[in-house]
Amino acid sequence: MKIRSRSLVILVVMGFLMPALPVMAAGEKLMIALMPKSKGNAYFLSCKAGADKAAKELGIELLFDGPVDSNAAKQNEIVDNWITLGVDAIAVAAENREGISTALRKARKQGIRVVTYDADALPDARDFFVNQATPQGIGHALMDEAARLCGAEGDFAMIIATLTAGNQREWQKHIEQRLAEKYPKMRLVAVRPCDDLKDKAQSEATAIMSANPNLKLLLSICSPGVPGAAEAVKQAGKVGKVKVIGLGLPNENRRYVKEGVTESVILWNTEHLGYLTVYAAAALARGDLKSGAKSFKAGGLGEFQIVGDNILLGTPFLFNKSNIDQFDF
Amino acid sequence: MSTPASKPLWKSILFRHETLLLLVLVLEWWFFYVYGTTTNRRGMVVGFGTLDRQFDILRHSCEIGLLALALTPIILTAGIDLSVGSLLGLCAVVFGYLAHDSGFPVPVAAALTLLLGAAAGGVNAGLITTLRLPPLIVTLGTYSLFRGLAEALTRGSVTYTDFSAGFLFLGQERWAGLPVQAWVFFGVAAGIWLLVHRSMAGRSFRVVGFAPEGARFAGLSVGRHVALVYVLAGLVAAIAALIYTARLGQAKADAGTGYELFAITAVVLGGTSIFGGRGSVTGTLLGVAAIAVLKNGLATLPVVIRMNAAEEMAGLLTGVLLILALAGSKLSGLLLSAWKRLMVSARQTASSCA
Repeated sequence: MKIRSRSLVILVVMGFLMPALPVMAAGEKLMIALMPKSKGNAYFLSCKAGADKAAKELGIELLFDGPVDSNAAKQNEIVDNWITLGVDAIAVAAENREGISTALRKARKQGIRVVTYDADALPDARDFFVNQATPQGIGHALMDEAARLCGAEGDFAMIIATLTAGNQREWQKHIEQRLAEKYPKMRLVAVRPCDDLKDKAQSEATAIMSANPNLKLLLSICSPGVPGAAEAVKQAGKVGKVKVIGLGLPNENRRYVKEGVTESVILWNTEHLGYLTVYAAAALARGDLKSGAKSFKAGGLGEFQIVGDNILLGTPFLFNKSNIDQFDF
Repeated sequence: MSTPASKPLWKSILFRHETLLLLVLVLEWWFFYVYGTTTNRRGMVVGFGTLDRQFDILRHSCEIGLLALALTPIILTAGIDLSVGSLLGLCAVVFGYLAHDSGFPVPVAAALTLLLGAAAGGVNAGLITTLRLPPLIVTLGTYSLFRGLAEALTRGSVTYTDFSAGFLFLGQERWAGLPVQAWVFFGVAAGIWLLVHRSMAGRSFRVVGFAPEGARFAGLSVGRHVALVYVLAGLVAAIAALIYTARLGQAKADAGTGYELFAITAVVLGGTSIFGGRGSVTGTLLGVAAIAVLKNGLATLPVVIRMNAAEEMAGLLTGVLLILALAGSKLSGLLLSAWKRLMVSARQTASSCA
């Protein structure tokens, strides 16, 4: 019996001690929770850097959590947790559009405001979607940059993922519209699919260059195509003669940008995306942002346009030699 | 877990692995209750100490808990089933297809899904008993096979959604005060407890686990008992698939990825020997609860939340908990026998002196 009574005494003593230790209570600050698709992803860490900046400016408490493994139910479980923590607003980049909507609807029912960013949930599961880029915005930015580099005249070619992918067709459509409207002296000589493979993009780029000796620029709208085209240009010894631009991530293209093979890479500014998302979530929670609003002011970044329930991040961002080292994703 | 009749009851209870685990569970729960309960800006009590959070623990651990229950009799027979997580995924998409695309009424689709689960368990059972292949190899094969089938059926991209409110009730609502799926879970737990601890078959599982050849010589139909536990596991994985689909409101081929390892962890933490023959359903339930409370509790601690590390800490501490619990259990047994030897030799010395 001795052992039992001793452990009982220890238990009772611990029982008196534990509640006496300071209990951390959440303060008076607004609490906003931000979820990436996956936690270690450099793209989302870059979003988080912007989000942290916004949280500091706004004086709010920012929680950041997301899946670390491939468990598809994880995002829902984290949202459930945030609901019981009583956060004021939740911002999510949805991995499973339908699945996450179940949890987000539950949050809204409990009075928590919800925004999505990067990848949307179902419209009835959130208040606003922070839309990082419209197809038109991307198409125009790519075409304008191509024209700027070519002096608005000459031959250029395009590398795309596949001939059928929905988003690729959208982007291509807007590029061609812009070309027809603004740059009559430029000529699109080839559009080749690379099946989202870098190697295929490289061989296609090589073939395009030998078929079109006057080619001035290669434009890729799928991300593996940009380094693929750059490698082809480098190996053909045409650096400077054929310029490379496209839609992609800074890390994949850093080497070619620094070597001067790739002129610029276009995407959106991920830090601004995180910053805007947190500002929008905070404004929603405070009641400053309501559905039907036409524009919204986010701190140092100024006014953003709202179309329907989409807050638009605006014009895409250009990564080039001068700024690419500020980004790591 | 047999104890000599001479041993006093309190001793046999105090030194059991389950008692240690229960103590761990109570301490965990208490710790999180004290440190994980806070008030928010609007003065609401939030965090671990809320009823909602307790229900979330039940909801989040239901599917893994079911798989752990299904694995307990298998591991008792010295077997293993690595395919249960993949089977959950396969059953989820098949149910999604039947209920959504084929227009079957939900009860029919659910019944067919359960049938599929049992049949898939039957495939494991057949390969293990008739071909005498090691369960680890067989279920490693079906682990890839079932997941592959699920991905092939949906071409990796189809997500079934828009289920009827009646079906979602199973995963998202409460009935008689508890989340609906908790009732299913407790029902299955009671059934498997009766099977393992109160039936002839249950005793046979342990005998098969201890000494399959001996069991065969004693006239036990080893094959039939082994087949039973794998078919049962398939059926329970199908039940878990229905609950998972109802909880998330979606069926996709990646459902239940990695769940088999969480379930095995819970079973082993519960004190069931991975070599078979020894273990209990109560232990498994405590193992599931200890992991679930740890995971969900960490996510309510302000310090952990501010470090953005709830997930990582949960993984790390589950590992620590598993090693400590097993080492502690082993160590206390060793200490106890060392103490006994000391007492015996002391008594001998005393008697020889006298």
